Amino acid sequence: MDLVQLQRQLVEYRTSLYHEGFLDAQFTQLQELQDENNPDFVVEVVSLFFEDSERLLNELTTALEQQSVDFKRVDAHVHQLKGSSSSIGAQRVQKVCIAFRNYCEEKNVEGCLKCLQQVKHEYSLVKTKLESMFQLEQQILSAGGSIPM
Amino acid sequence: MVLKMAETSPPTSCASSPIVASPMGTPLRKVLNRISGLASSCRNKTGYRGRCRRIFHRDVEQEEFQYASARCLSSYYSVFVARLAIMIMLAILIALLTVLTWHFTKMYTTKSLNTLAFGLRYELLQRPILRMWGILNSTSEITTAQVKLSEYVMRRYSKPSTQAELVELYQMMKDMTWALFASRKALNAITINYKNGFVQAFHRDHKNNSTFYIYSDLANYSISGTESPGNKMLSMRQGWNDQFIRGNVSAIWYREPLDPISGEKTGKALPIPPDEVINIAGPSQVPDGVASWHVAVSKYTDSPLLSAALPVWDSSNTSIVAVVGVTTALFSVGQLMKELVEVHSGYIYLTSHEGYLLATSTNAPLLKNTTNGTKLMMAVDSEDRVIRMGAQWLQKAYGNKFPPGDVVHVEKANLGGQHYYIDSFFLNLKRLPMVGVIIIPRKYIMGKIDERSLKTLIILISASVGILVIGCVCILILTNGVSKEMKLRAELISHLNARRRAEASSNYKSQFLANMSHELRTPMAAVIGLLDILICDDHLTNEQYAMVTQIRKCSTALLRLLNNILDLSKVESGKLVFEEAEFDLGRELEGLVDMFSVQCMNHNVETVLDLSDDIPKLVRGDSARVVQVFANLISNSIKFTTSGHIILRGWCENPAVSSDSVKCSPDQKKPLSALKTKLKHHGNHMKKAGKRDKKIVLWFEVDDTGSGIDPSKWESVFESFEQADPSTTRTHGGTGLGLCIVRTLVNKMGGEIKVVRKNGPGTLIRLFLLLTTPADGTEQHGRMDFAKHGVAVILALHGSMGRLIMSKWLSRNGVPALEASEWNELTQILHELFHPRTRNCGFDDHYSRGEPLRSRIHSLQDMRNPVYIVLVDLGLLDLSTDIWKEQLNFLDNFSGRVKFAWMLNHDTSNAVKIELRRKGHVLMVNKPLYKAKMLHILEAVIKERHAEFHKRSPNGNRGGSHECVEIDSTHFETCSSDDSEISEKGTVKSNTANCQTPKNCLVELTRLGSEVNILRAEEDECNAWPKLHDTEDAKCENSNSPEQHYVSSSTKDEDKSYTSKAANGEKSLEGLRILLAEDTPVLQRVATIMLEKMGATVIAVGDGLQAVDALNCELVGKEHRRDRMQTDICGSPPYDLILMDCQMPKMDGYEATKAIRKSEAGMGWHIPIVALTAHAMSSDEAKCLEVGMDAYLTKPIDYKFMVSTILSLTKRSA
Repeated sequence: MDLVQLQRQLVEYRTSLYHEGFLDAQFTQLQELQDENNPDFVVEVVSLFFEDSERLLNELTTALEQQSVDFKRVDAHVHQLKGSSSSIGAQRVQKVCIAFRNYCEEKNVEGCLKCLQQVKHEYSLVKTKLESMFQLEQQILSAGGSIPM
Repeated sequence: MVLKMAETSPPTSCASSPIVASPMGTPLRKVLNRISGLASSCRNKTGYRGRCRRIFHRDVEQEEFQYASARCLSSYYSVFVARLAIMIMLAILIALLTVLTWHFTKMYTTKSLNTLAFGLRYELLQRPILRMWGILNSTSEITTAQVKLSEYVMRRYSKPSTQAELVELYQMMKDMTWALFASRKALNAITINYKNGFVQAFHRDHKNNSTFYIYSDLANYSISGTESPGNKMLSMRQGWNDQFIRGNVSAIWYREPLDPISGEKTGKALPIPPDEVINIAGPSQVPDGVASWHVAVSKYTDSPLLSAALPVWDSSNTSIVAVVGVTTALFSVGQLMKELVEVHSGYIYLTSHEGYLLATSTNAPLLKNTTNGTKLMMAVDSEDRVIRMGAQWLQKAYGNKFPPGDVVHVEKANLGGQHYYIDSFFLNLKRLPMVGVIIIPRKYIMGKIDERSLKTLIILISASVGILVIGCVCILILTNGVSKEMKLRAELISHLNARRRAEASSNYKSQFLANMSHELRTPMAAVIGLLDILICDDHLTNEQYAMVTQIRKCSTALLRLLNNILDLSKVESGKLVFEEAEFDLGRELEGLVDMFSVQCMNHNVETVLDLSDDIPKLVRGDSARVVQVFANLISNSIKFTTSGHIILRGWCENPAVSSDSVKCSPDQKKPLSALKTKLKHHGNHMKKAGKRDKKIVLWFEVDDTGSGIDPSKWESVFESFEQADPSTTRTHGGTGLGLCIVRTLVNKMGGEIKVVRKNGPGTLIRLFLLLTTPADGTEQHGRMDFAKHGVAVILALHGSMGRLIMSKWLSRNGVPALEASEWNELTQILHELFHPRTRNCGFDDHYSRGEPLRSRIHSLQDMRNPVYIVLVDLGLLDLSTDIWKEQLNFLDNFSGRVKFAWMLNHDTSNAVKIELRRKGHVLMVNKPLYKAKMLHILEAVIKERHAEFHKRSPNGNRGGSHECVEIDSTHFETCSSDDSEISEKGTVKSNTANCQTPKNCLVELTRLGSEVNILRAEEDECNAWPKLHDTEDAKCENSNSPEQHYVSSSTKDEDKSYTSKAANGEKSLEGLRILLAEDTPVLQRVATIMLEKMGATVIAVGDGLQAVDALNCELVGKEHRRDRMQTDICGSPPYDLILMDCQMPKMDGYEATKAIRKSEAGMGWHIPIVALTAHAMSSDEAKCLEVGMDAYLTKPIDYKFMVSTILSLTKRSA
């Protein structure tokens, strides 16, 4: 009973993530890629994404704090962030990255800073969401159930 | 106008007070400030009004306006201050000039006049004085002469002893004195008073011009009385005096009138009282023996007399023997003065030193009568007012103390209210000092000057004021020009600024467009890609397919719209170049109608496509532009059509078939022919050329039943930003740019567009396009001969127009058609057809038009073994209640004899579709119905029939045949489309052969499809439209499986084949070695897993440099291996494929690719490199291909697309 409820909760939670736009089809694709050979593929990729993003965000923060901002570098970082976020399907992060890059092209420091804040916000959001989702999955797995697709 | 007023008001206020000095400046400035403030507020108001009117340029205008007004105000101030300063300076200058002019004129005139006047006065006074002097001189001369002569005579008769001698002496004296007296006419009297008291005197009375001789009685005088004078001198004198006075009193005086000229005695001597007539100078007057002068008065003259007395000494000079007195009247001096004054006006008088008047220029009496007799008058008592006042003034001013020299010149003495010049001279005569005074009224000399100076002053002031006013006006006018110029200049500057801003904004616009295209197309590409993924999903139901496909279409349309926006800027800049590519015009238009029908359905508007059969399937041209033209026209029609229909008609102009083509619109034949004749000249020429180039003229009409366009606007609707009725913007929206673009495009394509007259409401827009048909693309009329197959169609459709057109087309093609517009009609027809026995029970009664219908039904029944196809609009069923199920059941009764095909709405619910499917109705098409769909239905039915024929003997089951047909129908579509796309040769006939082996075909198709996809991916984005069809194809191709899945279980073998194919796909990359260069770890991981899942071996590196290194390493390793193993594997590269991210640190994808291409130049192989990029711009793509990459994948990686790309590349290289 408990297990079923957990499973339902997970499904609902995941749907809500899709509905609210935190995730998109790309994440589904990731999940499809996960199989017996790579049982923890999604978690692995997502944690890779977390590491990478945190690194990038730190670099962006320092880069934008400089007296003269190297927009090329910022742009490259944002580009990477955009690529990785789109790869795991964190589309809200990706969208902010697009705006971010526009500001980079305009060399608009204020816009960049604003976007950085947004990116951080979105990133932390998607991170907590994903982590809680993984936690649910873990709970299900530990309870001996299987993860519903 | 308010503005104008405000502009002019400051100058007027300035001009009204031109002599306003600087202290007035500040209040004036305040007033000005207020005025300008008012003006600016007014301007702001007008600005608001303007803003309301024009919303577009609101911000810019306001900004500009404020700028300009501020500028204007400052310029007003500066101009105003400058004007004020110039005016003040002018005023000062003119005032100075005036004062100076006045001063100098006045001063010099006055000075010279004064000099002149002084001379005049001096002269005037000098002359009477000279006269006086003359009188005095002559008097003294006479007196002296008299004395000398008397002395001489008396010396001769010295000591007369006898009376006779004495008488003789007196006679002698008398004669001599007469001679002197006669010689001097001016003399008043000469008297000789002898010592003995005898008096002889001549007297002349000037009044009555008579002369008298006066003498005393001789009897009283004794000669003896004369004593020796020696010692008795003093006593004698004393005695003489007394005696003289007494003696005179006692003596008898006689007066004897004389002839004034000859001196003859004219009358009797009359005794007169002594001293009555004249003063006889006696010895008392010469007390010290010298000459004496005095002024006397006499009874007979009213003027004072000047008398001189001189003693006559005896020969020894010791005693006085007689006293001679000469009296001269001062009358002549007065006379002279009068004469002078007559000429020169003014007053002159002479006074004695004591102040007694001697002579005046007036007639006022000089003497006054007192009780003691007449006396001399003092000047201050003169009866003449002016003289009196002058004398008083002098006395008051100087008293008796005259200034040294006794000369006084006073220029401005106020005498009784008038100004006079007063000058006095002192004439210092011995014993008789005299003072001459001249009083001249100032008016006489200076009057004119004073008067003139006043006038001059007035004239000068008025003149200067006039000049000042004129000057100010001039300044205003001149500075007005300057200020106008300044204003113009300011305006010019603001215009320049505005232009610069506008240019900047237009730059922003293009930049914005570029950015937008990038940023919008990327998500759009993602949307489309994801939809493709969704379409490939195995779990979708058929309805979801339809929906997703619709989304796919709309997305593509949106993408096309984005491209159009870019194109629009191209059109605007004249850079639009048409493509020359072959395309299927019919299919493009069908797609278009499909797209718009969704929109129309909501509006209850029927969209009908009516293309004549002679339109060539393939034409050459710019499909996107052609579609754009029609899309604009149709969307325009939709906008203005609320009910009714929109028909897109098309036919080909060809002399041979023109009559046929016009058939469908016979009522428009006339205007068309008119147009044709108009085009004939051009057309003839064209046709000749067209024979060679296969140029054709395609005519189209867009006919709607909308609000219509007023004939006067028929031309102008094609102008930019023009709408037939401006109010439509509110209700329908739109920019009014659509038709303009249409006309531009049509004209560029060598066509023409115009609105033509139409019967009934709505608009009919007719256009023709000049397109070429490919030389090898022969007309594909190889359609089935439907008549041969004995097919009959019952069209049970809602839309009357579409039904009519379809039935006409069917009948033209030899397919008899019946029409039904509602459910009851359909049932009647079915009843009539299949239950002829029961039809009599009221059919005739209910339907008045039963007769012709029945006759047609009968003609159908005459056909041999007909196949009935009933095309039922789902809208005919009553879907609101559950009745539709019963209606379906009713139709099921006929299912054996009739083939049902269903027209679905795009919003038909799933339940209905499932129910239909359950009942075995598999032929479904979406609205709207057009030729191609009808053809498919017909062919499907015919084929099914064939199959039935074939399977009838081996006892084939129904479901299987159904399925077969279904596959065929979709298959047919894909085949034909692919053929047309790829080989352009595919014919329907060849496909019928294909359909026998569906499975092979399917597999082949997948191959082809993926290849097509790859090719497409390399194409420019401009081909978005054709792409749509490709994806449609893809859909169709993929739609096979679910349908199979759904409908029957009998097609298991095919189902299996599909799954096995899919299973093959899963490991399709088995054995491939792939180098993945990707810096983002996440992406790297994802891609790796993806590829590995597919069975490929993946070597992942972090950047371009590593990729190059990895490649080289491998090469070196290979070299080693080759050396060691002595096996020749040189011919194959180390990796089968490289996936290369474009943007990487250290070395980006482009550089890496270049390096790899360089290194492999000598190796004799070519590793396919696929770019991975987030850029969706075609320029990036071009760059990728330029550096030597083979294909191009966009992030996020689409799993299936990637696989197909890799497969195609590896296969090609293998």
